[in-house]
Amino acid sequence: MDSPFSLHAALALIVAGDPDVVQAVWTSLYTSGAAILLGSLAGIPVGVSLGLGRFAGRRLAVTLLNTLMAMPTVVVGLLIYGLLSRQGLFGPLGLLFTPLAMIIGQTVLAAPIVANYTLAAVAGADPRILPTAMTLGAGRLHGAWRLLLEVRFGLLAAVVAGFGRVIAEVGVAMMLGGNIRGTTRTMTTAIALETSKGEFAFGLALGLVLLAVALVVNLFLNLLQHR
Amino acid sequence: MEPLISLRDIEHRQGEFALAIDRLDLHRGRLYALAGPNGSGKSTLLRLLALLEAPQRGQAWMAGEAVGARTRQRLRRQVTLVQQSPYLFAGSVKANLEFGLRLRRVGRLERRQRVAAALAAVGLDGFERRLTGELSGGEAQRVALARALALQPQLLLLDEPTAGLDRERLQELEQWLSRLPEGGMTVVLSTHDPGQPRRLGAEIILVRGGKLTGPLPLAADASLDLEE
Repeated sequence: MDSPFSLHAALALIVAGDPDVVQAVWTSLYTSGAAILLGSLAGIPVGVSLGLGRFAGRRLAVTLLNTLMAMPTVVVGLLIYGLLSRQGLFGPLGLLFTPLAMIIGQTVLAAPIVANYTLAAVAGADPRILPTAMTLGAGRLHGAWRLLLEVRFGLLAAVVAGFGRVIAEVGVAMMLGGNIRGTTRTMTTAIALETSKGEFAFGLALGLVLLAVALVVNLFLNLLQHR
Repeated sequence: MEPLISLRDIEHRQGEFALAIDRLDLHRGRLYALAGPNGSGKSTLLRLLALLEAPQRGQAWMAGEAVGARTRQRLRRQVTLVQQSPYLFAGSVKANLEFGLRLRRVGRLERRQRVAAALAAVGLDGFERRLTGELSGGEAQRVALARALALQPQLLLLDEPTAGLDRERLQELEQWLSRLPEGGMTVVLSTHDPGQPRRLGAEIILVRGGKLTGPLPLAADASLDLEE
């Protein structure tokens, strides 16, 4: 093992654009990107209706959402594995160990986070927004849309937080993707598995990229929360 | 003449607070002042008149049409409420004034004219491009007023429009308010300044403990103890 030089070697891999490193970074980015897109499409409406709605079962739904948010990634991986494996309900589709399977799993991870942050943004919004929009002529739907525009930084923070969770997780990517080189190997699965095979510099290179992504995401989140 | 808005047998409870109105008719082109101590129900009444809330019991009519689940949103477009500390949407003054006009599908040219006229009416000519975050408290208040005026509502509701003004600004705004109904608009404002209804030449609706007295013609107000 080349431990004294591995940081140097890791940087060299990044700078040289090592195809395996680039491939893993790209797979992470596009699966997490697709997952956060789908997770937001599902999570934002849920968060808005829980934040604005006054209906029976709302508290139960919020509790459920909090539970989902705290669900370990390997449990989500396990449940979806059950659905996608050959004997599972969706087994015939042959999705297991494909990027699509990872996207599905990560969407399930991202949606509750986006919903929860959206709920917080909407519930914490200025209570005058909706009546103001309505007295100026908006219906409830249009008023809710205006409210979303007013809390847009909170919504963006919801999306960024969800992205932060899915890009950094291993459980789902490992169980549903399987770390197949060139197709489903992501930054996190590569770090976990390649390092154990002695490819320390490779793992470290990806770790550095992942850290950089996490740093950018959190700087962005910080910026948004101070708006 | 048919009233612009009528309330009948209204009961409306909010928390520990209850408003009960047997009968209230407001006519076109008049100025009404809701007078009464803080917490007497003035703001709740304004929200009911703004058709923002449905009364738990009773019926409202707007220009002879019953207000119900199907008609509420359409009829609400004839009313605008300006809150005591109004909320301005993030963005430009122009975008705020155009919000309701766009919802009413007013064309671009007419929008521009109405925005300019409304801003001029509140003494803020040329404020179109200013951002709402950069306005002073007084300017924000006036932008909210202009935003309501631009919609040319039949019924304009103002919650404590003169609260916190210095004497000079108060006089100026009161003169301006007293002239508003000349164009046929009905104006209802709330106040806890006992001298204000007389200065405005407004008919008084006395709100006390969730019950209404009035509207009383101006001459009658001498007998009322508004100070209480």
